[in-house]
Amino acid sequence: MTAVGEKLLATIGGISVEILQGGVGKPALLLHGFQTIGQKAPFLSELAKHCSYLAPSLPGFGASERPENFDTIYDLVRHTLDLIDAVPGDSVTLIGFSFGGWLAAEAAVTRPAKLARLILVDPVGIRISDRETRDVLDIFNVHPDVVRTKTFFDPDRFAPDFNALSDDELITYARNRDALCLYTWNPLLYNPQLKGWLRRISSPTLVVWGAADRVVVPDYGRAYARLIPNARFTLIENAGHQPEIEQPVNFVAQVVEFMRGD
Amino acid sequence: MRAFYGCEVTYPFVAPQVLDAADSVRASLPNKYCDPKIAADLYHETLDEYLVADDVGLDVMATEHHAGINSLIGSNPTFVGIIARQTRKARILSLGTLISLRSDPVRIAEEYAMIDVISRGRLEIGLVKSGGSEMASNNGNPMQNEDRLWEGIDLISKALTQRDGPFSWEGKYFTHRHVNIWPGPYQQPMPRLWAATGDPRSAAECGRRGIVNTLVLRGPEGTRKAWDAYKRARREAGLPPATRDMFGYAAMVYVGETDEEGMRIGSKILWFLNTSLKTAPQMSKFLPGTVPPEAAPQIYRGKPRDGETGDAKKASSELPQGDQEVTKSASQNAAALMSITAEQAIAQGILFAGNPDTVFRQIIDFQRKAGPFGNLNIIGRSGFLTHREAVKGIKLFAREVLPRLEAARAEVQEVA
Repeated sequence: MTAVGEKLLATIGGISVEILQGGVGKPALLLHGFQTIGQKAPFLSELAKHCSYLAPSLPGFGASERPENFDTIYDLVRHTLDLIDAVPGDSVTLIGFSFGGWLAAEAAVTRPAKLARLILVDPVGIRISDRETRDVLDIFNVHPDVVRTKTFFDPDRFAPDFNALSDDELITYARNRDALCLYTWNPLLYNPQLKGWLRRISSPTLVVWGAADRVVVPDYGRAYARLIPNARFTLIENAGHQPEIEQPVNFVAQVVEFMRGD
Repeated sequence: MRAFYGCEVTYPFVAPQVLDAADSVRASLPNKYCDPKIAADLYHETLDEYLVADDVGLDVMATEHHAGINSLIGSNPTFVGIIARQTRKARILSLGTLISLRSDPVRIAEEYAMIDVISRGRLEIGLVKSGGSEMASNNGNPMQNEDRLWEGIDLISKALTQRDGPFSWEGKYFTHRHVNIWPGPYQQPMPRLWAATGDPRSAAECGRRGIVNTLVLRGPEGTRKAWDAYKRARREAGLPPATRDMFGYAAMVYVGETDEEGMRIGSKILWFLNTSLKTAPQMSKFLPGTVPPEAAPQIYRGKPRDGETGDAKKASSELPQGDQEVTKSASQNAAALMSITAEQAIAQGILFAGNPDTVFRQIIDFQRKAGPFGNLNIIGRSGFLTHREAVKGIKLFAREVLPRLEAARAEVQEVA
């Protein structure tokens, strides 16, 4: 088993998609958040000990193509269903992080036959509060320093250091941000209709939340979990919006324990 | 040469310590810092300046910016509608409504048709691409800004020219099942279109469409580059060659009786650059879609990375020409403009100031470098420049400079 996953290109529904692949065991499909998942992310090598993961870059993100007129959440949800279909075998655990958690929840609402388990990690995608209270930090419209401190429990250790990233990494970072903006600018990072449909999710669901997340706070996560019939909510201490980055061992332990349940 | 006098109705009366503490003087500065009573005086003074311009034979223009000290004209058609009734002879350039940021272009067509009719056919319609802090103020998705703009223009143009409506529009960004505006415009088939845009790609599109292309504070090199793209696009499309009335240039202009007076008062307009450009990074260089991802190494890094500066430069030089221009305007240009002095501004061709003879020569020199243009857009009053000073400058320009520019037409070669 290799510690670092391999990158491959696949064609999914006619779209050329970059996919990170690694590990052995039950398949898990990972949907990234605001940024694509780094090949060397420690949680991936941890996860590889327990399952075989596929981590695609969504269209427009990373090195994945974005076809003309593919520019809405509607497109991404259908693409997610294509990705689920493309996973080998007849059962998959879907793990969605942040923005990818939104897409995972949208896909799960349609009850794909293959979907065994659903794990949502600090997902966005619904609105809980009143119309004058933002649930999700306006990541495009507040100062980058604020986004940085609200995203991470320990920003000095885990936030990307732009001075240290390579040209390619910075270009990917900017491309990801452009793609995210294209899909989610308005309404910002939620679908007003999704909340009412979460009741249709039939797979066992784990909602994981970084206790120090201030992009979307844990109470939002608790409300999210309550709207899904068979969901359990769990907090990860000393982690912000990306517990998989700040607490990889604890995070993977929770995931593995949940996946072992069937 | 036509000269359009404009005033952005800036609001310089916010305490410097408030402006220093704010990360942006646009979009996010609370409006408690704007006294509506002072704003009323500013609107009235500006409208009076337009009446003076009308009297002395100038044309007039009004811009639109949102939620900041750089301009109180948040609704261009409201202001232009007043000008339409109060002036008598001047052409009226709306430069313009932020089309891509409004949800219904048909409503914009209605507003413009009304204004054109009220003015009995004196309206010119300027299209502004917008960007930066305006996206936040108007909820516009910066990733689709340009495509929305062009579809909006198409829909407005059809709404203004259709005489046998209603018609249906099912575009990518706008749908309207029943478009039929009353009245249609006074000018037939519709008022002339302008676009204030600086990158060669947009300029080329203006050329293909025959839209007047005005360059705002670009200096002669950037201006020539855009106009070359405009002319080339027309040649390639087999269209008649561009004429000078298809080009405009917007600069800060002040004419005094002496060079000393022209410089002293003209320098005050620089407030617009020195003070009112300050914009938070999330609304400027980090705003998605502002620069292509390939420019990220220069944008994101606070300092050059050892051994990789060469790559970053290479990535930049490989950008398509148009995008490179956008990159420059979005970040480096703004930073450079904020610290500019009057002498530098004159040297760069973005400020024309001095006595009438000096200003005349500056404008002729600019045309020799950039190419001849038929429309001068005057950024005439800004910051602490007073109403009285503005009126004096308008009169001097109209009496001492404009006739000479018209007489000197032959001194600058017609475009090829």
